[in-house]
Amino acid sequence: MPDAIRCSNVTKHYGDIRAVDDVSFEVHDGEIFGMIGPNGAGKTTLMECIEGLRTRDTGTVEVFGMDPEREVRQVRERTGVQLQSAALPHRMKVGETLDLFAAFYQNPADWRQLLSRLGLDGKADSYVEKLSGGQRQRVFIALALINNPGLVFLDELTTGLDPQSRLAIWDVVRDIRDGGTTVFLTTHFMEEAENLCDRVAIVDHGKIVALDTVANLIASIDAESRITFTVDGTPPVDRLKEVSGVTRVENASGRVVVHGTGNRFQQDVMSVLSDIDLNVRDMRSEQPSLEDVFLALTGREMREGQPT
Amino acid sequence: MTATTKLVSIQTKRSVREPVGVFFMIAFAPLFAIAMGLIFGNDPQPEFDGRGYLDANLVSFAAIIIAIVSMIVIPVDIVTQRETGALRRFRATPLQPAAYIASDVVVRFVLSLLSVAAMLAVGTLIFGANLEGNIVNVLLAAALGILAFLAVGYALSAIMPTAGVAQLAGNVLVFPLIFLSGGPVPLAVLPDGVRDFAQYSPLTQLVELLQALWSGEAWHENWVPIVVLVALLGVATAVAARLFRWE
Repeated sequence: MPDAIRCSNVTKHYGDIRAVDDVSFEVHDGEIFGMIGPNGAGKTTLMECIEGLRTRDTGTVEVFGMDPEREVRQVRERTGVQLQSAALPHRMKVGETLDLFAAFYQNPADWRQLLSRLGLDGKADSYVEKLSGGQRQRVFIALALINNPGLVFLDELTTGLDPQSRLAIWDVVRDIRDGGTTVFLTTHFMEEAENLCDRVAIVDHGKIVALDTVANLIASIDAESRITFTVDGTPPVDRLKEVSGVTRVENASGRVVVHGTGNRFQQDVMSVLSDIDLNVRDMRSEQPSLEDVFLALTGREMREGQPT
Repeated sequence: MTATTKLVSIQTKRSVREPVGVFFMIAFAPLFAIAMGLIFGNDPQPEFDGRGYLDANLVSFAAIIIAIVSMIVIPVDIVTQRETGALRRFRATPLQPAAYIASDVVVRFVLSLLSVAAMLAVGTLIFGANLEGNIVNVLLAAALGILAFLAVGYALSAIMPTAGVAQLAGNVLVFPLIFLSGGPVPLAVLPDGVRDFAQYSPLTQLVELLQALWSGEAWHENWVPIVVLVALLGVATAVAARLFRWE
């Protein structure tokens, strides 16, 4: 598959701080590619170097084969950008804002169709600043799509949104990808990356510490899964310990936690439980997540919070 | 429509929708003329050599309003747009910075000039202020003043770090200039040293140019204020162009 973005050895300093430290990677055409990492990891700086909004110190960046610092106009024509600190001048209506931005491009989309595609029907005459957070974010997505881009950058798209709006925005992002546009996004919500991204790059201290599909990233750290349940009576601790893949069984007054690894471990635990003649209640299964991948790779928790 | 004409149209709409914008950029000047007309009238006064209050002061108030709008209202607006990241969003498009700035200047210039014209119309038509010169000359001088002070406003916008600082600095700069302009306080009542010093203020020069043309003097008799204002326009434009920031 051809690549929408190709970065080689990109470095960006702010004073003595290496915000982006010798980063190389590709974003394939047609995928949703996510960068995750804590605030200050360098995600936005790297994204803005690729957008051509910041000047990299060293390295090469190609967007559809073009250098965003040299072929500025051509890259801007073919890419869409949603900035992390997105804003518009006050007292602008949704429709006229889209109409204005459409005039900046050679082959603009029909902004009325774009509004209805993004669920903003009937909002053309509303002031942008009067919309809800989720609606406003859709306006910024519409602005990023106004030129029918082949590649769209979405920086911390759902930060500050309530969970319901976040889910709705995820659908919008999948819809963009399904329409043939490559999506390059940053997030510090692990859940967002797990649900949305075809491939994920984990960024820490300006470096990409891992890059793969979510499933492969999780498999790569060989982390334990957990099955937790409650039984009325004596749990079959010894039989569970013999199941292949089980590493540890904890039993605290009827609440049992089985730790283990491997693909068949959960299934085998289930079959032991269905053999015994006891009531099993409140069963939960916990899989390792990207959070565990981050912890394993960096030795630190990635706290979810608001960006600074 | 091209991007620039659309920008002009949307910037105009934005200015008209913003209550503060409407007030300061359009309505303030004519309302001020009405207030002055109602309070002082335009009966002949000995201290104005037999002219009325508005005859003597209408154009100086126009100059003061030009300075307030250009040095406070506009920098605060531009710095606010920069602070909120609104200018940055434009930067992420193929739009040329020059096209954006040109449209912004055109809109603010036209609104300021209309506002001054409305002020002069109110003063003359409602309160009978007596224009002895040519209105076209007065408006041309006002246009030169607006351009020079707009450029100062853009230069200030480029320098000011935050909207709050822009507000404060604008006030600190404008009010001494107003005091020294000869508008609200006649220069004749000030001590000699202050009066001489006041001649260095570009606002004083604009007031004197407008008053001279209003009372029928010719352009060539007033080359000093013209040179001062053109120089201010050149210097401030150079500073603004050099230091303008999208973010």
